[in-house]
Amino acid sequence: MEHTGTLERILRAVALTLVVVFFMFPILWIFLMSFQTNETILRVPPSMVFEPTLANYKALITGKLETNAASIEINFLRNLWNSVFLSVTSVSLALLLGVPAAYAFARHKFKGSEDIAFTLLSFKFAPPLLVLLPLSLYFQKMGLADTYIGLIWVYQLICLPLILWIVRGYFEDISPDIEYAYRIAGHSWFATFRKIALPLAGPGIAAAGLLAFIFAWNNFIFALVLASADKQPVTVGALAFVTASGIQYGQIAAAVVMSITPTLALALYAQRYLVEGLSLGAVKG
Amino acid sequence: MTTVEVSNISKRYGADQVLNDVSLSVASGETLVLFGPSGAGKTVLLRVLSGLVQNDSGAVFIDGQDMCDVEAEHRGIGMAFQNFALFPHMSAFANIASPLDARRDSPEAIKTGVHTVASLLKIDHVLEHAPKALSNGQKQRTALARALVGSPPLLLLDDPLRNVDAKLRFEMRLELPRLLANQGATVIYVTQDYKEAMALGDRIAVLAAGQLVQLGTPADIYLKPANLNIARLFGDPVINVFDVSGRRDEQGVYIELSSVRLRLDESMAACVDKDCVLGIRPESIQFCGSDTAGAIPILIETETPLNEKTVTLALTTGKREILISRPSSTTAPDSGQSHIVINADKALLFDKHSGQRIAADHCV
Amino acid sequence: MSDHILSLSGVDKFYGRVNQGVHAVKKLDMDVRSGEIVALLGSSGCGKTSTLRMIAGFEEVSRGVITLGGQTINRLPPVRRGVAMAFEGYSLYPPLSVRDNIAFALKSSSYSATQISDKVNEIASMLEITDILDRYPSSISGGQQQRASLGRALIRDAKLHLLDEPMGQLEPQLRALLRGRIKHFIKTRGLTAILVTHDQAEANALADRIAVMEDGTLQQLDTPEAIKDRPANLFAGTFIGEPPMNVFTAQVTVSDSHVHFSLPDDVTFTFETMDFSPAVLDAIRHRTHLVLGVRPYAVRRAPSGVSATVAVNQWLGDQSHIAADFAGSSIVLVEHDRAPVSRGESIQLHIDPANLHLFDHTNGRAMSHGPNLAI
Repeated sequence: MEHTGTLERILRAVALTLVVVFFMFPILWIFLMSFQTNETILRVPPSMVFEPTLANYKALITGKLETNAASIEINFLRNLWNSVFLSVTSVSLALLLGVPAAYAFARHKFKGSEDIAFTLLSFKFAPPLLVLLPLSLYFQKMGLADTYIGLIWVYQLICLPLILWIVRGYFEDISPDIEYAYRIAGHSWFATFRKIALPLAGPGIAAAGLLAFIFAWNNFIFALVLASADKQPVTVGALAFVTASGIQYGQIAAAVVMSITPTLALALYAQRYLVEGLSLGAVKG
Repeated sequence: MTTVEVSNISKRYGADQVLNDVSLSVASGETLVLFGPSGAGKTVLLRVLSGLVQNDSGAVFIDGQDMCDVEAEHRGIGMAFQNFALFPHMSAFANIASPLDARRDSPEAIKTGVHTVASLLKIDHVLEHAPKALSNGQKQRTALARALVGSPPLLLLDDPLRNVDAKLRFEMRLELPRLLANQGATVIYVTQDYKEAMALGDRIAVLAAGQLVQLGTPADIYLKPANLNIARLFGDPVINVFDVSGRRDEQGVYIELSSVRLRLDESMAACVDKDCVLGIRPESIQFCGSDTAGAIPILIETETPLNEKTVTLALTTGKREILISRPSSTTAPDSGQSHIVINADKALLFDKHSGQRIAADHCV
Repeated sequence: MSDHILSLSGVDKFYGRVNQGVHAVKKLDMDVRSGEIVALLGSSGCGKTSTLRMIAGFEEVSRGVITLGGQTINRLPPVRRGVAMAFEGYSLYPPLSVRDNIAFALKSSSYSATQISDKVNEIASMLEITDILDRYPSSISGGQQQRASLGRALIRDAKLHLLDEPMGQLEPQLRALLRGRIKHFIKTRGLTAILVTHDQAEANALADRIAVMEDGTLQQLDTPEAIKDRPANLFAGTFIGEPPMNVFTAQVTVSDSHVHFSLPDDVTFTFETMDFSPAVLDAIRHRTHLVLGVRPYAVRRAPSGVSATVAVNQWLGDQSHIAADFAGSSIVLVEHDRAPVSRGESIQLHIDPANLHLFDHTNGRAMSHGPNLAI
């Protein structure tokens, strides 16, 4: 019995290592690329041994992209700031609107509530291109094209359904009796929402907010079509590295590292909330 | 002190009529038990009273005041839930304190209030624990403490002992009447356990399929159940039932069981020439010798002890099963063939078709 | 050995590594005779279900030996052990009707179709499920599913029937009747059964012998009457019996003529020394403290005795349960008629010394039962 135990442990460790390598290798490779010049990246055969350089990061921070042909102005830091601003504002707005709506959908079943909830979710199914063309026309007419407000509005298509559906599930998992008990103790429904429902769904709200943030951060197509250079996030901004004189792999890698760092850090930080959120079943005991 | 008046309450969930024209009143200081099998509508009725569920028609009056427009938090009630419904993110103390918080008592008053009720319920040593860290019994006591702490004039207890083990349930059954008496509150108590109902209720309201089928003292319901179903819900082991039909000869009314005539009181004359169901509680049957008058021969199959009683499963000569219960301290009958005698005073007769009990008041 | 169909010797169960993981069953020795019903009784986590699963073959035995019919079965897969089992959760096969579920295990046997059908009908009428034989598990109630699952186990010809909480979900109205019928069924067919339950009433009703377990350790293995009359320790004494045994810690003084047990609030029980055997007197003479146990039915109201004040009197139709304030806590008594006492009334209590259990107050081990020394 003990033998099978040991063997099992070894196999499990091997399997886990393989999975980690599989998922982590691209990140590691990008990370290494960001410290190399285009020449070392493109040499054949590729090698892990190189002389590290900070030139790529320097180019991004100073905003001057030196290629063999010319020096191009890029505004990568501006893109980074746009990403942060758009994602944070969109997610905040989506939470503000979505959490109370999710509570309403979870607790008050009214005629058609299921249909409305599903319609909201279906926005996520529609290919963005389907809505983009009419949307860009509307936006131009309304003067919303190439504004932060317009982008944040469109980003709700990404964030709101996600938050609504995830948070609704968490609210539904809270036994209504717990809220009833608080009501009976003499508190208003709003106090019950604030003091019972919100804290208990907290891990779920955090998880949904995090997911929405990542989706918003990674969005490409909306910003590509609806925003001009000074409002574009990193995803679109990175296109600038595909220059007439070739693709700047080193800078792209550095840009990628800089742009995934916030989401990666957030995900690592919020991991425990996600786990806590999944063990919400303890509420019922 | 508070009175409760429920008048013509109905409630429907989709096609499901969960409460159908229920009316009852609860006197000040009384403990009324709502009893019935699951799905009878007990919990829904309790929630209508608390204001957590809206009734379709009818009205609830607390102390004579129509509760129609009064929100749940303003009805002045304490409530305990079957699943405890503790706030998982708050300590036991904060849980118990929540009704006092709501009325903005001073921190000192809250502290005293919580500690008083906690020591009464013997949970003062776990007040700092989160609900997760409490045993089932402690959770149940915390939930009860939360319901009691504000000394509400009306207490609604929704099967609070359902989720604790048998021993704790028994202890609490003996402890609750004392606690409730000290509170002086009017209590409405929901349960599906007939022992709890009989032990705790001044009166019992029996609900079945959303309707009130009998309202009376425990003795009324045990000794004079309105119908066969109620008779079957009260008592463990369950009441024995036999299809019989009433007869009359020159000596009076009788029924026949295993060709032995069981003489009935003249008040049961309504059973004559009618298809009836005879109900005999297992404890109303005694073992006897074959020479005893009215002795019915039986064949004993097996004995199963049940708490302080011993239950015997036997067959009559007509191969009908009969359960007999006797105090465990009394001597056991011989195995195999034996005889029993039925206490006719305690026999219940029901109309076979309607299930209604046949009694003096049903006579023409 | 010959009359023991099943025997467990020195059985340990660890979850995780041996000697390091959770020690769920500790050095269990137990024999089951052919034709016997043995109940494994205890609260959740006491090791009873682990024990059952080891016998069935669903859990590996960490240490020790299990033999069935003289053959060691430690490493035998479940199907080859010849054991039938009824599961606690409803484990009916959803796509099969209740009838097919019950008949399932007989399909591969040598019985003819009519024989199988007869057997199913017989079991079904015993379990009151004749009217739902052609329904599917999803359309019947929890109690009905449990009865069907019980039928599926009882219909099999097996060396041993294992029943895991077989009646927990049963409708209360059917419980007493079905207990009687199932016991009769098992007995008349000479089946051997092991029943796992947390409900002492169920164990008492069905079992020839009860194995009381706590914290992975067997506390006592004996007949229901023996455990009731001579519990091995405080745990077994208070676990078996409803209402539970009254227990009080008492100071003991033994004089030439009398034995005094002093309880809080100046309550003293005085018995004559001749109510106890010399061995018992020797055992308690040098003690200062003891735990006194007395079953609720052995506490009697009497014209004179120790006084107590009635706190509640609950009539349950066939019994009265009375709790009285007594010696700083409360004492419970059971009477078989409607007791004419009410709250606040003062009553006098008498305890027959023959019904007195004495326990060591440090380890809870039984010292004496009535006049006799505990073994």
